[in-house]
Amino acid sequence: MKSIALIALNTFRETIRNKILYNILLFAGIIIVLSTSFGEWSVFARVQVMQDFGLATMSVSGLLLAVFIGVAMLGKEVTSKTVYMMAAKPVMRGSIIIGKYAGLCITLCLNFLLMSLFFFGALLFIGSTVNLKLVAAVLLTMVEMGVIVSVALLFSTITNPTLSAIFTIGFYIAGHFNDLVGIETLEGSKRLLKPVLQVLYYLLPNLEHFNIRTPVVYDLPLTGDYILFAVLYGLLYITLFMSISCALFARKDL
Amino acid sequence: MNFLELKTVSKSYRNHFWSRAVPALQDLSFVVPQKGITGFVGPNGAGKTTSIKILLGLLTPTAGSAYIRGVPSHLPEARRNVAYVSEQPYFYHHLTARESLTFAYRLNRYPPDKLTAEIDRVLQTVQLTAIGDKKIHTLSKGMQQRLNMAHALLGNPSIYILDEPMSGLDPLGRRLFRDLFLDLAAKDKCLFFSTHIIEDIERLCKYVIALDKGAMVYAGSLDELLARNTAGAEIHVDAIPENIIGRLHERGYTVTTVDPDNRIIHVPTDKEAQVCQKLLYEHNIFPKTISRRTASLESILYKSAEVRRP
Repeated sequence: MKSIALIALNTFRETIRNKILYNILLFAGIIIVLSTSFGEWSVFARVQVMQDFGLATMSVSGLLLAVFIGVAMLGKEVTSKTVYMMAAKPVMRGSIIIGKYAGLCITLCLNFLLMSLFFFGALLFIGSTVNLKLVAAVLLTMVEMGVIVSVALLFSTITNPTLSAIFTIGFYIAGHFNDLVGIETLEGSKRLLKPVLQVLYYLLPNLEHFNIRTPVVYDLPLTGDYILFAVLYGLLYITLFMSISCALFARKDL
Repeated sequence: MNFLELKTVSKSYRNHFWSRAVPALQDLSFVVPQKGITGFVGPNGAGKTTSIKILLGLLTPTAGSAYIRGVPSHLPEARRNVAYVSEQPYFYHHLTARESLTFAYRLNRYPPDKLTAEIDRVLQTVQLTAIGDKKIHTLSKGMQQRLNMAHALLGNPSIYILDEPMSGLDPLGRRLFRDLFLDLAAKDKCLFFSTHIIEDIERLCKYVIALDKGAMVYAGSLDELLARNTAGAEIHVDAIPENIIGRLHERGYTVTTVDPDNRIIHVPTDKEAQVCQKLLYEHNIFPKTISRRTASLESILYKSAEVRRP
């Protein structure tokens, strides 16, 4: 447990000294500021446009963070051999993976906290309010990014950083289109593709479960149970991906 | 109980998923049962680093097993109180030297109350006290290698696995490291010292394990290896008449002329040395000195490797 905490702290230190993190934050900030003016050109209400843009920006910047920092974190350590600093010591390989993940999650949380403050501040600035639904939407985006980071680490244990990044982005896109994959499978329009789609449908998490932008923006009903289910659903996938990563990393030649 | 042990270890690598596996080690077995410095020698590509990585649990062998103090090396407990110095230092460059040492100290779970004193001690030992608060990426390669050694010294471990630890060091650094290794050996530590520089082995090691092409060539005492490979004797004499030189040549001896009054007769075996002495006495020539000629470690190991080559 102590090793995990040490590795997490070191990973957090490393990521917050990474310039990419600040570039992503800057990118998110610019989009949120610009979104205040998008509403004026849109047929929808200014607040709705801003909420939609703000939450989407958080999701995309979370993905960028997971790809550029999460993937590089383990993959680069293996290729540059800095992982020997930990692996040649009396530390379990699993602790390295969990520690790295925990460190990345701390960075992710800090990143989301800053973006949320900025986003909520911008909403208050244009005279809107911040309600619990909006906070829940940010929370679920964070859980979604937790899943993405765990997948990024999983890919990092089996392939090089470039492919890991491509696979992680692919996973994010496929996860958001999982509903469509399900519909396609049920309709069975393409006989050859059906088994592949079926496997994908059941294997990949449905990342749309974490997307509550529509009920938030249009003020539709949203239950606490749904939020709880989505968080547990995310935690289940995180546990699954982390377990696979630990098992693979334990046998990996470093 | 052996400090280090490899039991019929084989390791093959694949460059790509579809490429053929290339063997790096073949049924390699050896033990390091003793304290002191054991040299692990062999040419580049002999399998030294692969063996070391298997011992440290960084690589999984294709077959066989590795142990540190009897504990299977893939278990974290095996690496407790074991220091590793890699050929190239692998550090987190965003840390300062002190931060890096603190991280390593804590990962090794050494007593927290001795942290500061221990870091001061190791920095002083490798003569890096002045750069403790500098970021690692600002240090020269030699300094980074010294810092690498400082990491190994943390907590005063009982086993040191050193993989070409002196690469990148200037002559002063090399001397510092050599003295350090001898000092550790004198303190009853076990040092497993991999190198392809024979001179370092001759100067530092009592025991040698020699590898070539992933297989063992020799394991045992360095003195025994050298004694087993004596190359006859050298008989130093004053002036010798030309006819005697001719007779010496007839017997297959070589005569080197340092100057006309100072010649060296090379004989291939100890027995031949006695025959040569008798011949010289018969002609009233008395040797100044007779010394046994020992083959260099390099030539012995090179010869062993040559025999194994197809």
